Amino acid sequence: MDINGEARVPPSPSSLRQKFILCLPFYYVIIQRDEDHKLYVSPPIMKRFVYINENEAIKDPYCDNRISNRKYTLLNFLPKNLWEQFRRFMNQYFLLIACLQLWPLITPVNPASTWGPLIFIFAVSATKEAWDDYNRYLSDKQANEKEIWVVKDGVRKHIQAQDIHVGDVVWLRENDEVPCDLILIGTSDPQGICYIETSALDGETDLKTRVIPSACVGLASEQLQRIKGVIECPKPDKDIRRFDGNLRLFPPFIDNDLCPLTINNTLLQSCYLRNTEWACGVSVYTGNETKLGMSRGIPEPKLTAVDAMIDKLTGAIFLFQIVVVIVLGFAGNIWKDTEARQQWYVMYPEEGPWYELLIIPLRFELLCSIMIPISIKVSLDLVKSLYAKFIDWDEEMYDRDTNTPSHAANTAISEDLGQVEYILTDKTGTLTENKMLFRRCCINGIFYGNESGDALKDVELLNAVSNNVPDVIRFLTVMALCNTVIPIRSDNGTILYKAQSQDEEALVNAAACLHLVLIGRNGNTLDIKFNTSIIQYEILDILEFTFDRKRMSVVVKDCQNDKILLFSKGADEAIFPHARSGQQIRTSVEAVEQYSQLGLRTLCLGWRELEEDEYREWSRMFKEASSTLVDREWKLAEVCQRLEHDFEILGVTAIEDRLQDGVPETIETLRQAGINFWMLTGDKQNTAIQIALLCNFISSEPKGQLLFINGKTEDEVLRSLERVLLTMRITTTEPKDMAFVVDGWALEIVLKHYREVFTELAILSRTAICCRVTPSQKAQLVELLKSCDYRTLAIGDGGNDVRMIQQADIGVGISGREGLQAARAADYSIGKFRFLKRLILVHGRYSYNRTAFLSQYSFYKSLLICFIQILFSLFSGVSGTSLFNSVSLMAYNVFYTSVPVLTSVLDKDLSEKTVMQHPQILFYCQAGRLLNPSTFAGWFGRSLYHALVVFLVSVHVYANEKCEMEEMSMVALSGCIWLQAFVVALEMNSFTILQHLAIWGNFTAFYAINCIVSALPSAGMYTIMFRLARQPSYWITMTLIVVIGMGPVLALKYFRYTYRSSAINLLQQAERSRSPFFSIGNLESQLKSTEKDAASLSPQPKSRSPVCEPLLADSPTAIRRSIGSSTYDFFQPSQSRLSSSYSRNYKSK
Amino acid sequence: MNSNGASSSATDGVRDSNPPKRNSKRPKYSKFTQQELPACKPILTPAIVITTFALIGIIFIPIGLASLSASERVVEIVDRYDLDCIPEQLRNDQLAFIQSSQTNKTCTRSVIVPRYMKSPVFIYYELDNFYQNHRRYVKSRSDKQLRSKASEQDTSTCAPESISSDGSPIVPCGLIAWSLFNDTYSFSFNNEVLMVNKKNIAWGSDKSHKFGRDVYPKNFQSGQLIGGATLNASIPLSEQEDLIVWMRTAALPTFRKLYGRIEEDLQPNQKITVVIENNYNTYSFGGKKKLVLSTTSWIGGKNDFLGVAYLTVGGLCLFLALVFILLYLFKPRTMGDPSYLSWNRNAAGYAD
Repeated sequence: MDINGEARVPPSPSSLRQKFILCLPFYYVIIQRDEDHKLYVSPPIMKRFVYINENEAIKDPYCDNRISNRKYTLLNFLPKNLWEQFRRFMNQYFLLIACLQLWPLITPVNPASTWGPLIFIFAVSATKEAWDDYNRYLSDKQANEKEIWVVKDGVRKHIQAQDIHVGDVVWLRENDEVPCDLILIGTSDPQGICYIETSALDGETDLKTRVIPSACVGLASEQLQRIKGVIECPKPDKDIRRFDGNLRLFPPFIDNDLCPLTINNTLLQSCYLRNTEWACGVSVYTGNETKLGMSRGIPEPKLTAVDAMIDKLTGAIFLFQIVVVIVLGFAGNIWKDTEARQQWYVMYPEEGPWYELLIIPLRFELLCSIMIPISIKVSLDLVKSLYAKFIDWDEEMYDRDTNTPSHAANTAISEDLGQVEYILTDKTGTLTENKMLFRRCCINGIFYGNESGDALKDVELLNAVSNNVPDVIRFLTVMALCNTVIPIRSDNGTILYKAQSQDEEALVNAAACLHLVLIGRNGNTLDIKFNTSIIQYEILDILEFTFDRKRMSVVVKDCQNDKILLFSKGADEAIFPHARSGQQIRTSVEAVEQYSQLGLRTLCLGWRELEEDEYREWSRMFKEASSTLVDREWKLAEVCQRLEHDFEILGVTAIEDRLQDGVPETIETLRQAGINFWMLTGDKQNTAIQIALLCNFISSEPKGQLLFINGKTEDEVLRSLERVLLTMRITTTEPKDMAFVVDGWALEIVLKHYREVFTELAILSRTAICCRVTPSQKAQLVELLKSCDYRTLAIGDGGNDVRMIQQADIGVGISGREGLQAARAADYSIGKFRFLKRLILVHGRYSYNRTAFLSQYSFYKSLLICFIQILFSLFSGVSGTSLFNSVSLMAYNVFYTSVPVLTSVLDKDLSEKTVMQHPQILFYCQAGRLLNPSTFAGWFGRSLYHALVVFLVSVHVYANEKCEMEEMSMVALSGCIWLQAFVVALEMNSFTILQHLAIWGNFTAFYAINCIVSALPSAGMYTIMFRLARQPSYWITMTLIVVIGMGPVLALKYFRYTYRSSAINLLQQAERSRSPFFSIGNLESQLKSTEKDAASLSPQPKSRSPVCEPLLADSPTAIRRSIGSSTYDFFQPSQSRLSSSYSRNYKSK
Repeated sequence: MNSNGASSSATDGVRDSNPPKRNSKRPKYSKFTQQELPACKPILTPAIVITTFALIGIIFIPIGLASLSASERVVEIVDRYDLDCIPEQLRNDQLAFIQSSQTNKTCTRSVIVPRYMKSPVFIYYELDNFYQNHRRYVKSRSDKQLRSKASEQDTSTCAPESISSDGSPIVPCGLIAWSLFNDTYSFSFNNEVLMVNKKNIAWGSDKSHKFGRDVYPKNFQSGQLIGGATLNASIPLSEQEDLIVWMRTAALPTFRKLYGRIEEDLQPNQKITVVIENNYNTYSFGGKKKLVLSTTSWIGGKNDFLGVAYLTVGGLCLFLALVFILLYLFKPRTMGDPSYLSWNRNAAGYAD
């Protein structure tokens, strides 16, 4: 690109298209580069040229400002929605079945029995989608029809927001919402500044300044209406922190320079104009192409471990079904050819059609299609949204300080909360309050605030200030100036500071306390009041803070003596290496050391006087760099580097960030629950370690041991990595808390070259502290743990955590002071870190338990009815006759058996209190004890057994003269209903009124409905129910079925419950037995004594080290008695365990 | 929910009593939303489980005895006649015998009443290895056609017995009707005819609602192949009770259907002579035919299954209760003993 742009003529609109095409190959190059260079996301080179105030023809290539969040239109709703729904395998399967049923030759039942539920399920999903879409449409409409002042043909007009086109000049008044992305070209402020609130965009509540580009400074509002020019900007993207464009005005506003545009010149859609009378801007991105519009978009749906398991089980059942169909189909054809030909009354034709051999298998396919419960998806969706609601409703997770309730943005993954194995947490704002307080400082080798713990009350410092000690004054000046804080004078004269960074706010406030007050920021001048005198500084440049530079600087001109000064502040390792050589910085280094030992955040301040020439030379480069479109961030960093050297080190500030309430307890509890914690922080090593110690994250010697991975070169890093790994392997046998610490630099090398070694270390170590890590490294670590098949939860509060939150299986955002950005990207947002305990132990655990029961039960009841059909077919000449009629089958699946089990969403196996006291119980969820092939085999066996019981009893009682089809079918069906009611009742742990209503109400509803149907003469089962109800033998049969069916289940369950109790059973007994001897308190004390073993052994790597299997404290046999649900265990749990661990090993390779 | 004195952990959110601020986003409190609905949480204590099993045993055994005795009281005479009713010389080719219209199919049997049979004595015919539940068979009927004259043409479901050779509908259509059972029985004692009442052998509801009063047999058994019985074309279907009984398809390949009632008491050792018209072909597929005379009781016909099952299950339940009591006495376990907590126990297990 021609950056100097001296002789550059903006391309005419006609050449635009050509330009795009030329750019295309280049575009791909850029993208590729992106991938191995994740730190910098380069903007696409493809550009758009916005002609300010041009006529309509030119605006054509871009869309208008019609916002559309809608997924569908009226016309495409049906096809698109159906297409989306049919992308799921289950739906395809059901559709295939439903279509097959339309063939009367093979359908065992009325096609309605599948079409009905199928259409119902589709209708429910479609209605939900349509309703959501309609609401989106309404809110879009409201936004689109808002009246906006826009300049058209040189006149200001009121038009609807949707009619704004790219290049229009839009006028806003105070408190107006910005309708599209604008480039600011004029404000009411003579300095060309305006303030905006961006909370709707990134959640940050502070006011941000936006300035007009230099080319537009001083234009009157009449001129602005006639302004002409061209803005060159990238294609729309979603980066709300970056905008790299250029502006060139046309005559008569000619300004030879190409004026660079940054994010500071933009007003983005959905921001609000504040504290400014009016502002106007050129629209550059409109409609769905705005930064906000681009960053919308549907997040990738996350699949929980439970979902994956259910899918796997569905697959297994599908295979089983195929086997059954093939076997029965084969048997059916043989029977037909040998037996049925002799049954003259069946009148089999001698020669059948060519597809004759297929007919019986297909019939059985249809008969067995109910094996896969059609209702499971609807039931699961329903209960999952209820889990999410329970989280939203939870009063104990409501944060009173910030008035934020918890919120589950993703309703589908609550079960995963109960299966978390790793928590990756941010430090600042997540573990700490992010409420920064200036505590200590070290100025020119003198420590202040060491005695009192508060430098602001340190008499020596106060004296130094009043004595005008130059170093101290300079120190304070840097504190007050080197920032982007906006002072706002409130009505009563006090000054409030609005800052993007909490540290800066703390520093400015501290300076104000020490009588050096930042009182105003008017454009480029800053006013500082020291005692009574006012000093003015002109800001020449701001070298902004980035996570990679880890420092920020300002270049200011002292208006008193016209000296140009560079003020810098930043992390020690970003400042000290650039100190002027020969300077004594030892005390400052010591100060940093000492402060971070105390868990304080340190910043180093430095300054330098600049020569006029040096500055001018640099300023040109800076300007050049800031108007590049490619890799601007990187280039800027390079240019800044040229100025930031030879610092005079002024001193070190120490800011305290207090721990949030309940953080140590929460971490302690969750670690007891077997969850491993990793702390990922951008802070420095010592601070991170101190905070980690403070919040129980790691234990100090001799209980715990920290292992450091460090080094600057690959060899050093590898050596230290291997050393750590060796120590880790040796010490796994000792009950010692091992943790490793790695910093960003070493991590970069490790992740690049020694991924496998690090993976092994990651598996061995329960705790890790990663400091100085960048957002992308955080995401990489999440990725690493995920690749070892661990369930990860990432929790954070700031924009730098967004990537890790999105990457993790579960993302939790803390809606805190750093804005809502993290909370918006997250699946769950909570107000305080301590709510995490409740989120995981209570909500996660219950959700997992409930879904585990619900899904397996759904298969159980489908298999039950299907096995009866199969058994019956053995007695009906393997011809594929259905015992049950269509209505009963349909009602059984979608009504009788689906409703009662839904109340399992209220089931609680243990009370919340017990779970909190014995967090170890979470092992059961983490290891997936309640839903795995082995428990599923139990349910499978139970359904087979129950089918046998129901069928054989009905057949024997209703033999001979009572052997009538309709009656028999009703007897078998009622047998199933009775059994399922008792199964649900037996598996339910706590009965609220709703459960009773659902279980027994459903039971009565079954009889009521069948009585009604039996009263209809046209129905096939006319009078059947009345006839049966009059027979004593019917009721005796039902009782017999229930007792034979449930007796062994109850006996087994009782035996396990009492003599092979799982931890859950024991706690249930402890919780509910009223005997004073076994009260919880007693239990607690006994537990305490053994706690050491429990804590050290159960979650220790030992049990999982050989096969990387986490958290299996119990022996493999323990799985079998994990819960009473499994009556029959066909699978060897240890085997399945082994195979899963194998796959895990492979995966990590 | 019980809370026996255990102190809640300090970090648990303590609900404050202050009313929430006006614009508070605090979730509304209700027992449902907080998942705090009062619940009863039964656990499987030895007392409950042992009592349950004992109770089931105690209840089941008398019921079992009652059922068994009811079943015992039922007097049942079963006489298989399908083989015996073929003349000696034709036994080698049973099929030819039954399919020929020339052969004399009348057959005389005598049965002895073992015990006193109180009227009414039900007469059943029992077929074996006859798949009335075969898919091809069970679907081959038209309920609409049976119900009303208007739907006479409605024979689409009746294939392959839907229309006669000239294309007009068969009434009643379908394989079930076509294969109507056509053996007949007449009973006599000491040359005195025992009257067989064939009225009201079908379900009343079927007669009144499923089989039309205005539907008369038409084109029935007029095809090449004669299946079973013919119907009197002048009697409406609602009166054709044999057909109605037959059309109630059986769920199992062995079944009995009601033929009629003898409304006289039968004395012990009475020798009853039965004259059977052995017309129905079960020979081609080796099915058995039996004539059954039976009284009834409150559990129905003779069926020991319920009684035996109840006695067995009751006995087993008592046995289980006993086992659990013994287990409880000799291997006592304190409920909720923490030393059994899996992590504790396994910790010990790993140690050695």
